[in-house]
Amino acid sequence: MVLSGEVRRQLADPGIVLAFAVGAGALLLFVLYPTLRVLAYPSLADYLAIPQSVRWVQAARNSLLTTALSTTTAVTVGLAFAFATTRPDVPGRRFFRAVALLPLFAPPFMVAFSYILLFGRQGLVTRHLLGLDVNLFGLPGLWLVQTVAFFPLAMLVIAGVLEGVNPSLEHAARNLGADEKNVLRTVTLALARPGIAGAALVVAISVLADFGNAVVIAGGMPLLATEAWFRMEGMADLRGASLVVALLVVPTTALFLVERYWVGRRRYTTVAGRGTRLEPPPTYPPLRWAVFFVCTAVSVLVLLVYLGVVAGAFTAVWGRDWSFTLEHFALARDRVGSLWASLRVAAGAGLVTATAGVLLAFLTSRALPLRRALDFLAVLPGALPGVFVGVGFVLAFNRPPLELVGTPWVLVLALAFWHLPLGYQAAAAQLQQVDRSIEEAASNLGARGLHVLRDVYLPLLRRAFLEGFTVSFVRAVTNVSIAVFLVSPGNVVATFAILNMIGNGIWGGAAALTVLLLLVSFAALGLARLGAGRALRPTAVG
Amino acid sequence: MAAHLRLVNVVKRFGAAVAVDGVSLEIEEGCFFTLLGPSGCGKTTLLRVVAGFHTPDAGDVFLRDRRITHLPPHARGTAMVFQEYALFPHMTVAENVGYGLRMRRVPPARARDRVARVLELVGLLGHEAKYPHQLSGGQQQRVALARALVVEPEVLLLDEPLSNLDAKLRLRVRDELRELQRRLGQTTVYVTHDQEEALALSDRVAVLNHGRVLQVGTPEDVYRNPASRFVAEFVGLANFVAAEVVAPGRVRAGGVELHVDGLQGASGRRVVLAVRPEEVRVRQEPVDGKPNVLRGRVRSATFLGAVRRVTVEAAGLGWIVDVRADEPLAPQAEVSLELPAERLRVVEEEPTDEQRGGGRS
Repeated sequence: MVLSGEVRRQLADPGIVLAFAVGAGALLLFVLYPTLRVLAYPSLADYLAIPQSVRWVQAARNSLLTTALSTTTAVTVGLAFAFATTRPDVPGRRFFRAVALLPLFAPPFMVAFSYILLFGRQGLVTRHLLGLDVNLFGLPGLWLVQTVAFFPLAMLVIAGVLEGVNPSLEHAARNLGADEKNVLRTVTLALARPGIAGAALVVAISVLADFGNAVVIAGGMPLLATEAWFRMEGMADLRGASLVVALLVVPTTALFLVERYWVGRRRYTTVAGRGTRLEPPPTYPPLRWAVFFVCTAVSVLVLLVYLGVVAGAFTAVWGRDWSFTLEHFALARDRVGSLWASLRVAAGAGLVTATAGVLLAFLTSRALPLRRALDFLAVLPGALPGVFVGVGFVLAFNRPPLELVGTPWVLVLALAFWHLPLGYQAAAAQLQQVDRSIEEAASNLGARGLHVLRDVYLPLLRRAFLEGFTVSFVRAVTNVSIAVFLVSPGNVVATFAILNMIGNGIWGGAAALTVLLLLVSFAALGLARLGAGRALRPTAVG
Repeated sequence: MAAHLRLVNVVKRFGAAVAVDGVSLEIEEGCFFTLLGPSGCGKTTLLRVVAGFHTPDAGDVFLRDRRITHLPPHARGTAMVFQEYALFPHMTVAENVGYGLRMRRVPPARARDRVARVLELVGLLGHEAKYPHQLSGGQQQRVALARALVVEPEVLLLDEPLSNLDAKLRLRVRDELRELQRRLGQTTVYVTHDQEEALALSDRVAVLNHGRVLQVGTPEDVYRNPASRFVAEFVGLANFVAAEVVAPGRVRAGGVELHVDGLQGASGRRVVLAVRPEEVRVRQEPVDGKPNVLRGRVRSATFLGAVRRVTVEAAGLGWIVDVRADEPLAPQAEVSLELPAERLRVVEEEPTDEQRGGGRS
C-alpha cells in the first residue's frame, strides 16, 4: 500500500498508533464481534426454515404492520409539532416544544405502563371516569403508545429541516401568484419532504426495535422485538433468539443506511448569500388552527403519561382503593439496591461511551488508514436494536476466554457500545468546529501526537465528553431492551425490577420505582446542563 | 399620462418605529425608478408594501387607477426579485421560472414556450434541468429575474438584486439589466443603497431617509442639484460651507465673500452651500481680480487612478478637490481654488439622527 506523506507522519507517532490499536480493537471486539456472532449462530438450515415457522412469520408480519401504522401517525403528529415550533404565530409554541421533548426522557416502557393505568381495563379514565370497558392490550394500544413515544423524534428531524428553509420562499411563491393552499402544497410541504422522509426512517427503526412498550402492552401478539426475549427466558432457546434478532436487524439496518447515506444528504437548506430575511409570513389560518388542535390534544396525552405514573405511585390499590398512600415508596425502598445498580451501570456506560467517542472521533478526524471503516463501526450500533445487542453480548461473552456474562461488566459494555454513536457523533461535530490552525499552532510550538489531543482537543472536547456521558447515562438508566438479557442476580437494575413488578401486577410499587428513576434521570440532566451551560439534545430511547 | 404606479401618503409602522413616513410617489409606465437610501431608510419596506407583503397603516397604493392597497400579494400583478433570490431549491430552473405560470393556470405547452423565451432573454437556455444549487451566483440571479419577468408583471420589483454578486459581475449584470428593461419597456422599481448603481440604472431616483422621500428626479438632477445636505452627501461627495447671506447673490463664508448664482433671501440668513470636488477648479499660479478665488495650501493628495483627490486648506476651511491625475500637486503646494458661482448651491440642512430617533428598514 502506498501511504501518503501525511499518513506516514501520523503512523510515525507511537501515541497515535497505540490509540488507533485500542480504538480499533474495542470496535472489533464490542461492535463487530457480537454482531457477527448473532448472524453466524443459527445454521443456514435455520435461516431457510424461517418461512415455515408460523409464529415467526406472524411476528414479522405484526412488526411490519405496527411499524407502518405507528410510523405514519408518529410522523404526522411530529409534522404538526414541527410546524407549531417553527411558526412564530402558532399560539403556545414554546409549550408544545417543551412537552414534545418529555417522552424522550421516559423509560421505554413508561408510556405503555401509564396508559394501562389510565386507559386499560382498570383505567382511571376509561373505567372509572367514563365507565367503559376497554382492552388496551394488543395492536390498538401498542399503536397509540408508540405514536406518543416516538413522535418527538419525528418532530426533531422535521423541525431541523424546516428551520433551514428560507422564509422568503413563501413570500416569493405568493408574489408569483400562488394562493395560500398552493403555497402550502408547492412550497411549504414540498420543502418539508426530505425531513418527513428522514423522520419516517428514524421513527420506523425505533418502532421496529421498541422492546419496552411492546413487552408491556402487546399482550399475546408476537413481535420480533419481544420474541427473542421470550425464546431466551422461557425456553433458553439461544438459536431461536439469535435467529429472530437477525431477522429484525435486516430492516433496521436497511432503514438506517437509507437514512444516513441518502435522505441525510437531501436537505434543502438555502445557501444563498446575505440578505435581509423577511420575517416568516403569517401561517394559513386553517393550517394554524389544525396544527394547534393536534398539538394540544397530543400534549394532553403526553402529560398524562407522567401524571398516570405519578398517580399510580401514590394510590393505595389501583382500580379499587383510590386513597393516598406512601406505602409504595416503602416497597420501592426495598428495591433501592436496584436503583444503585442502575446508577453504577449507567455511570460506567456513560464513561466508556464518552471516552471511546472522543478517542474515535479524534482518530477518524486524522489521515489514518481505515478511518472510514472505523467511522462505519462507530455509527453501526445506531442501526442495531437493543435486543440484538443484548443477544449478541450473551453469545459473544458467555464462554472463555472472555466469560463476562454474569458480571456487571457485560451490561456496562453492551450499553456503552450501543450508545457509542451518540458520544462519537457529538465529539465529531465538536471536532469539525475546531480550527485546524489551532493544532498547527500547537505542533508548531512543539506538541506532538497525543499531546495535541491532550493539550488542544481535550479542553475543547469537554463539552462533547459531557454530552456523550449524559446521553449514554440517561439512556442506560432507563434501558430495558439490553438489560433483560444481561442482568445478573447481584445486579438487578431498576428497570428490570419495574418490568417484573408490572408483570406481576404490583403496579403501585412499579409506579413508585419509576418515579424514583425519573428523578434520577432528570437530576443527571440538570447537572449536565449546569456543567455544559445549555440544554443537551435529547435522543431516542429504544 | 396617468402614473402606472402611484403611492399616496403611505405610512408603515413596526411597533413604535415608523419605517415609512407618509411617502407619495408617481411612477410612469416604462420607467426605471430607483428607491435610494441608507439601510434603515424604509426603502425595502416601501417595496414590500407595493408587493403586498406589508399592509400600510395609512395611505394607498394604486396600479393605474386600481386601488391595490389591500389586495393579497398573489393578486397584484407585481413580481419581485429578492435580494437573496429566494429560488425554490426543490425545483429545477424550468420549474422555478414556470412557477408563476403554473399558478396562473397557463396551459403547459404555452408555459413551456414562454419559459424558453424568457430563459433565452437572460441567456440561460440549456440550463432548464439544473437545480439552483448547481448554478453560480450570477446564474441564480438571472433565474430569479427570469422567474419574475415570465409572468409579464405590471411592475417589476427588484430588492438589491446585485448585492450578492462580486464587483466585476455586478457591473456586467447591471448593464444587462438596464438593457433588458429598456428593451421590454418594463416598469421597474429598484431598491438599492448604492448611489453609483442608482445613477447608472435609473430614469428617476427617489432619495429616502428616515422613511421620507427627500428628493425625486433624474439621476443628473439629483446629483447636480441636491435639495438637501443629506442628498448631496449620500449621492456622491460634496464640500459644505456654512455661509451668511450679505446681499442677493452674495454670501460671506470663512472671511471671504462669494458669488452664488440665483441666491435669493434676506441678508443675515444663514445657509449651507455645497460644491462637488470635481467642480472646484485648481490653479497652481495666483489668480487675481476674479471673484470666488481662494488662496490655499495642499494638505494631502491621494492618487485614485483617473483622478487625484486633494485636500486643500483655504479661507480657514478644508476643501476636497478632484484634479486630473497628471497634475503634479504635492502637499504644501500653494494653490488657488476657483469656486464657480453657478456651481455653488444652497442646500437645506437636515435634522440630525439624534433629533429624530432612529428608523428601520
